[in-house]
Amino acid sequence: MRLDAVGRRYGVRGPWVLRGVSLELPPGALVRVEGRNGGGKSTLLRLVAGIDTPTEGSITGRPRRTAYVPERFPAALPLTAQAYLGHLGRVHGLTRAEAARRAAQWLERFGAAGHARTPLAELSKGTSQKVAVAQALLAGPGLLVLDEAWTGLDVPARAELDRAVAERTAAGGTVLFVDHDPARLAGAPDRHYRVEGGALEPVRPGAGPGPRVRIEAAGPPGAVPPPGLAAEPLPAGGFRLTVPAGRSDAVLRELLTAHPAWHIRNVSDLP
Amino acid sequence: MTALLRYQGALLLRSQRWLAPVLLYAAFLAVGFRPGDPVPDSLGYSAAALVPVTAWLVRTCLSVEPDAARDCAAAAAGPVRVHAAALLTGLGWGAGAGGLGAVAVLLLGAREGPRLPTAALAGAASVLVCALTGAAVGALCARPLLRAPGYAVAAAGLGSLLALVTAGSPARVAVSGLVGGSVALPLGALAGAAALACAAGAAACLAAARRG
Repeated sequence: MRLDAVGRRYGVRGPWVLRGVSLELPPGALVRVEGRNGGGKSTLLRLVAGIDTPTEGSITGRPRRTAYVPERFPAALPLTAQAYLGHLGRVHGLTRAEAARRAAQWLERFGAAGHARTPLAELSKGTSQKVAVAQALLAGPGLLVLDEAWTGLDVPARAELDRAVAERTAAGGTVLFVDHDPARLAGAPDRHYRVEGGALEPVRPGAGPGPRVRIEAAGPPGAVPPPGLAAEPLPAGGFRLTVPAGRSDAVLRELLTAHPAWHIRNVSDLP
Repeated sequence: MTALLRYQGALLLRSQRWLAPVLLYAAFLAVGFRPGDPVPDSLGYSAAALVPVTAWLVRTCLSVEPDAARDCAAAAAGPVRVHAAALLTGLGWGAGAGGLGAVAVLLLGAREGPRLPTAALAGAASVLVCALTGAAVGALCARPLLRAPGYAVAAAGLGSLLALVTAGSPARVAVSGLVGGSVALPLGALAGAAALACAAGAAACLAAARRG
């Protein structure tokens, strides 16, 4: 998917919010966008997600299944979480049974299974956000656009969303995200841009993969390492994982907090 | 599209915001129609009431979904289809209410006069004409074309009135034919109303895609 010289302004004589934005979004890429408040990040995300149309320029090759998570989802909808997710799953093209199954699965993963039958209007802010995230993930989208989707989630749900993003990119989906926490998915994004004065500028142009960390760990029988990581099985059992240094703490945390936990044999820096 | 229609239908049904316009329509009928009244005349009256009621239902469908949820649906299916589904849901509910009203008139109206199938056909056509005209008014007097709710409601009311009194308007042609006692099929009005609704719907859907 690519954006060519995309510009957007609201109103015929309004100021340009974005102009001359060209961006390549290959399958499997994790792309971070940062910038000031009101600088046009959300506009860029809405254009990429197809919610908004550019005033000039073109957007081509958007994957068939596109999902968007807004920053706030105060959805005063007259539906239960389960019913809403079922409807959205079918809008994404899933069958009724498949939509219901995946809705239950994603609510479970985000620790909101107990709220499946609660009307959306009665959910807390954090639980509504979990429904918004589940809505996007249940389709297994080819393009996932996250506008500060982590805001309002509790710590386990944030970690789960990190994992879900890794799974999406590992499955060949493109993920574009904005988050104010500079440590969010640190080290993981393949591309990193900043919206500055209505233009999109690459951050750290030409930066290599950076330092990496090798983790040797053995899981409980049958356990598989977190998806999206370079993992090779070891002859003595367990796996050797090679992860970007910035992500190694998150991976270790994930392995150690799994139930049952993994055993870490060795951690070493790679040049 | 089926999934979107089902979703919009569920939103309208469960929000209970269909209740006020449908009750208004029932009140129109209760006030203006008495069992034993002449059928063509009453069909015309009940169809005329459908113009503001359908405009209201369409406006309701276009505003029942909060922005955040609308964005999620628009990313999944495209803003044009999301908007079209809301318009069609409002139109469907309007035509459904009109159909029930016409059935009531046919069952309770005077026995003498035109034969039942002829009257039923004319009634169905006038319901469609008025629902389509009302939907066109509702589509033009709602987001994204007219966002300020005060102006939009006033414009929808005025638009419905104009649709019923302006010479040449499909709704006026269909209603005045029936009120004049004729049960001829208003085919020209039907085509005109369909064209009007398509044009208004297309304008609203394209604007929904352009303005997010």
